[in-house]
Amino acid sequence: MGEEKKGARFSRRSFLKSIGGGALGTAVVSTGLIKTDDAAAYVSETVGVGRGKTAVALKVNGKTYRVQVEHRQTLAEVLRDELGLTGTKIGCDRGECGACTVIIDGRNMYSCSQLAVWMQGKDILTIEGLAKGDKLDPLQEAFIEHDGPQCGFCTSGQIMSGKAVLMKNPKPTEAQVRRGLSGNLCRCGNYNREVAAVLAAASKTS
Amino acid sequence: MKSFENIDVKSVKEAVNLLQKFQQQKKTAAVVGGGSEYLQLMKDHVVEPDYLINLKTIPGLDYIKEERGAFRIGALTKLADIEMHPTIHEKLLILSSAAGEAASPQIRNAGTIAGNLCQRPFCWYFRSANFTCLRKGGQVCYTVTGDSRFHAILGAGPSYIVHPSDTAPALVALGAQIKIAGPAGEKTIPLEKFFLLPSVDYKRENILTAGEIVTEIIVPAPKSGSKGFYHKVRERLAWDHAIVAVATVVESSAGVVSNAHVVMGGVAPIPWRAAKAEEFLRGKKLDEASARQAGEIALEGAKPLKDNSYKVKIAQDLIQRGLLASV
Amino acid sequence: MAESSKEFSIVGKKTPRIDAYERVTGQAQYTGDLQLPGMLYARVLRSSVPHAKIASIDTSKAEKLPGVKAIIHHGNAQVPWSSGGLTHRRYIFNNPVRYVGDPVAAVAATDRHIAEDALKLIEINYEKIPHVLDANEALKPDAPKITPNGNLSVGKGPFSAPIEESWGDVEQGFKEADKIFEDTFITKHVNNAQMERRVSIARWDAGKLTVYASTQGVSNARTDIAKDFGLPLSKVRVICKYMGGGFGNKNQAQDYDYMAAMLAKAADQPVKLEFTREDDFIGMHGRWSSEQHYKVGVKNDGTITAVMLDAVTNMGAYRKQSGNLSGTDFYNIPNFKKVVKPVHTNTVVAANYRAPAYPQSVFGFASFLDQIAFELGLNPLDMFLRNRAQKSKGKLAYTSNYLEQCIVEGAKRIGWREKWHKPGATAGPKKHGIGMALGGYPFRPGLGAATIRINSDGTAHVLVGVTDIGTGAKSTMAIIASEALGIPLNQIQLTNGDTDVTPYSVGESGSRTTAFTGPAVVAAAEDVRKQIFNLAASQLKTKAEEIELRNGEVFVKNDPAQKRALSQVVAQAGELIGRATTNPNFPKEMDGKCFSAHFAEVEVDTWTGHVQITRYVAAHDSGTILNRLTAESQIKGGVVQGIGMAFSEELIIDKVTATPINPNYRDAKVPTHLEAPEVEVIFIENYDPYGVFGGKVVGEPPITAAVATIANAIFNATGKRFKELPMTPDKIVRAVQV
Repeated sequence: MGEEKKGARFSRRSFLKSIGGGALGTAVVSTGLIKTDDAAAYVSETVGVGRGKTAVALKVNGKTYRVQVEHRQTLAEVLRDELGLTGTKIGCDRGECGACTVIIDGRNMYSCSQLAVWMQGKDILTIEGLAKGDKLDPLQEAFIEHDGPQCGFCTSGQIMSGKAVLMKNPKPTEAQVRRGLSGNLCRCGNYNREVAAVLAAASKTS
Repeated sequence: MKSFENIDVKSVKEAVNLLQKFQQQKKTAAVVGGGSEYLQLMKDHVVEPDYLINLKTIPGLDYIKEERGAFRIGALTKLADIEMHPTIHEKLLILSSAAGEAASPQIRNAGTIAGNLCQRPFCWYFRSANFTCLRKGGQVCYTVTGDSRFHAILGAGPSYIVHPSDTAPALVALGAQIKIAGPAGEKTIPLEKFFLLPSVDYKRENILTAGEIVTEIIVPAPKSGSKGFYHKVRERLAWDHAIVAVATVVESSAGVVSNAHVVMGGVAPIPWRAAKAEEFLRGKKLDEASARQAGEIALEGAKPLKDNSYKVKIAQDLIQRGLLASV
Repeated sequence: MAESSKEFSIVGKKTPRIDAYERVTGQAQYTGDLQLPGMLYARVLRSSVPHAKIASIDTSKAEKLPGVKAIIHHGNAQVPWSSGGLTHRRYIFNNPVRYVGDPVAAVAATDRHIAEDALKLIEINYEKIPHVLDANEALKPDAPKITPNGNLSVGKGPFSAPIEESWGDVEQGFKEADKIFEDTFITKHVNNAQMERRVSIARWDAGKLTVYASTQGVSNARTDIAKDFGLPLSKVRVICKYMGGGFGNKNQAQDYDYMAAMLAKAADQPVKLEFTREDDFIGMHGRWSSEQHYKVGVKNDGTITAVMLDAVTNMGAYRKQSGNLSGTDFYNIPNFKKVVKPVHTNTVVAANYRAPAYPQSVFGFASFLDQIAFELGLNPLDMFLRNRAQKSKGKLAYTSNYLEQCIVEGAKRIGWREKWHKPGATAGPKKHGIGMALGGYPFRPGLGAATIRINSDGTAHVLVGVTDIGTGAKSTMAIIASEALGIPLNQIQLTNGDTDVTPYSVGESGSRTTAFTGPAVVAAAEDVRKQIFNLAASQLKTKAEEIELRNGEVFVKNDPAQKRALSQVVAQAGELIGRATTNPNFPKEMDGKCFSAHFAEVEVDTWTGHVQITRYVAAHDSGTILNRLTAESQIKGGVVQGIGMAFSEELIIDKVTATPINPNYRDAKVPTHLEAPEVEVIFIENYDPYGVFGGKVVGEPPITAAVATIANAIFNATGKRFKELPMTPDKIVRAVQV
């Protein structure tokens, strides 16, 4: 099956010209996959088994969601892309930065480092589950008051780790708060503020 | 990650059988505990198993039991639980400290003791998809010509990784044993014998073969009057591996050492027992001079690479610090 | 306009960010959170060799993978990237490739895992060319040529090479010196490492391109895209409402924005292109590394008579920014000569990262002055005080300069006189030390624009092009608007970051938002106030000059009982629009700068190489502080970034394979909570006549002095001078063993 040489059909100039005119489409593979027998071989050889999806019931913020997931999808991905809960961020996807921190069965963990299929039966709490209707969690209020977010990308994770600290220890010392949040990076360097916010939230709740 | 199938198993036997079956079928399979480290290896394409056998669904492997002073810790016990366990904290402070030094709070909440012992090296060449190094089946250990600042000064060659575990040196210093289930049944061996030098096998870090799974760690009852400490020198204070770590367990009376265990992390491909230093200390009065000498003896024969000679002095000083804290 | 902070309604207070609620609830939609119907996911394939011609690319296997919709590479997508290479032509895919990480292809597929799988199926034949990694080696005549013009990166204007600047007569200055000192300081490539990985979403609708970009500058990004794609500006829309940091490496449009657009065009579906964290470390840029050679002449009392700087900066494979070194800016230097050579090597590109030309050279120069003070037997505090900037370039006055007060107040706060001791004086393995350095950043107003709409109910919309990378720029603009309009903050809605809706903004970089867009907001407010006053004048039967608007109420100045609610006034007209484009004058014969003096106390454990910062004081002159809450956070944050650069961060490239080996947070050793000391912030407030409400800039100054401050404290503790960054445990342990 002769495959035309992609680059040869368009000169550089005509290629760029065609962008404005909307004629770009044929210069690269677009729609219309070439489905040959070879494709099936590629799938198993190079991209592995288990391409099908599995049904999983995820209990998130007290609500049960039924989704179909690939085994290689992480909890972070599924929360964000399938459940639309984008408050949990992915900063590194390597379990090194903490932006994806959620609370699973009472423990704060990196959701990028858990597979969605492992979450059957678990109780998952994300940033979206902290506020009760219009009433913010004291941690969220404290983060507003103490300027917890600069760019805000690590904020959900910092708050969830703060929540985990306070769930286990309602009156932590500053050292305990810092240690409890130590798995959450903040490149804006807003560490002083995040710790102050958690301590302030602790002092508000009796 | 390459696509794979996750299989939740309900028992150790089921896991062992599956591993055997896949091996016979020439399919790649691996067990996973907490998952943080193994998923990362998969994301970095260091390992690409077709089947992931999830051990988390096995009931009854997550426990800390005290029996006649000895501790039995289930393989799936979380590092955070070991760190925070009141009795471990009271009686095995060295282990509680070591568990608490691992990675970050989130990892300690997910990571298991068995996973911590079985983890692969964090050598930046090993973990990079851009390098097919010796340990991954390639021709060359890139550390030799590359940046070796975090690599081994003892027991290394032809691979120069350091074992990244914090709990391993502490457990070896405590004289722990490790229970392994496999196709031939169960066996218990000293943890010290679990790890492999690269001169023996440079593609594996421990003696587990296909079909074998760690099920339990056993720590013998600490001798009365013994004191154990884990000291870790690191670049960042959170989520960082040891540049050098020292686990010391010293039994002494009136300042005289009856028995000492000195095990180093961050300096060798395995938790490194400073056997000669331990021998030297037996029967000696523990003071600054003898502690210093023990440190020097421990590092005799160290073979630094291009960038890591600084580890020698740090290790010597850390051993001195650890020993003196025990008096 | 109010001249002192006592008269301000909201300027100068501690005001929570106007969008803090969205950020703490997870409702803020960052680019990566957006999902468009039919959206594809894309990934980039990068070169694994440092310098090579691409002999062939075979994408046939990748094309066959179910789910793959489009693949582009240099063979079928030759799009120039003008802002990506300012001295020689750079494309989104280059042939030859010039560094490990140079993009070679991009794939769009129905999900991101398939896109990643497809990358592995693309086969590339490289014909290797000799490469060079070291900047000094690259300058040698027989070095492999990375650009047609060689490796000294020659361009136009600010991108000339070498960068030269001089005033006075250095030879004469050296003759006048009692002593002359020379030394060399080395800094490394540090990645911006912002928390949000790069991502771009592109869609085409009837020939109009919309890019949801994670960018610091929607206006610049639009201009870049329009230019390089040959599209009219009206057919390009760039949107960024929230972004997770950039610190200088997300300004303008970048190659991945273009790739997303090309893939979207090819696949006829929207495309979201995502970077991995490794992509982010390698595929974008970080702070340029440097080798700085200083020759300094001083009198015996420490007064500087002359400074010569000879330096090389490593810009990587392409030139995106200046490569300059400006750390000498904060001192009185009567005779000065600087020659900086920006150089190309086959390594990761270097460009802007927070105060791009400063922390490296403040480390160099302030360390050197600290060293010279030691050689002369002087207290560093006296050395820095004596030589602090009082005139710019030997002759220009500053529009405002409170550097002396920064030094004096900061020194008093940390207890400098009581705590300072001779270097290395502490006995025992743990050594105490105290150090300081001077910093700051240029300040100058520029082109900005703003639109303000007053609704018929008295609430207001403020439309500005800013994106807010975390500095709080949105809040600052809203505060300025509130102050200038006389309307409470909670009645103001700020709309930002959409080139179809918001007018021009220079983009959040160079600490320019307040100085450039701020005046436009003030002018737009004045424009609409005039309209309000004209309406009110007829309603209240008086002259427009007699009317005032404060706190949302319109009243007659000398008879406040005569008043109307703003809504009552505006209802008559329906909606009022105020607008302004401004480019305020700045006197040619003056210079604008922010200044700072930082002080740190450290404890160095000479057995482990670990350094604990036990106290940190940062004193800043930034004119009037518009929002005390966010300004303090900026200072604290900049110091933490400086700590990372000082202690641990560098991009390490394996010399044999030319491949970066630590492109992730853990291996790059970005500082954690446990590295951050409590940073005490002192603002020496004043009123700069050329700043909005007297304010200068806050965003970039805080990082400039931090690295040198820490290095000088370590010297005081150990008696060992570190001339090469980062000051990692191995370097410290080795140094103290000698």
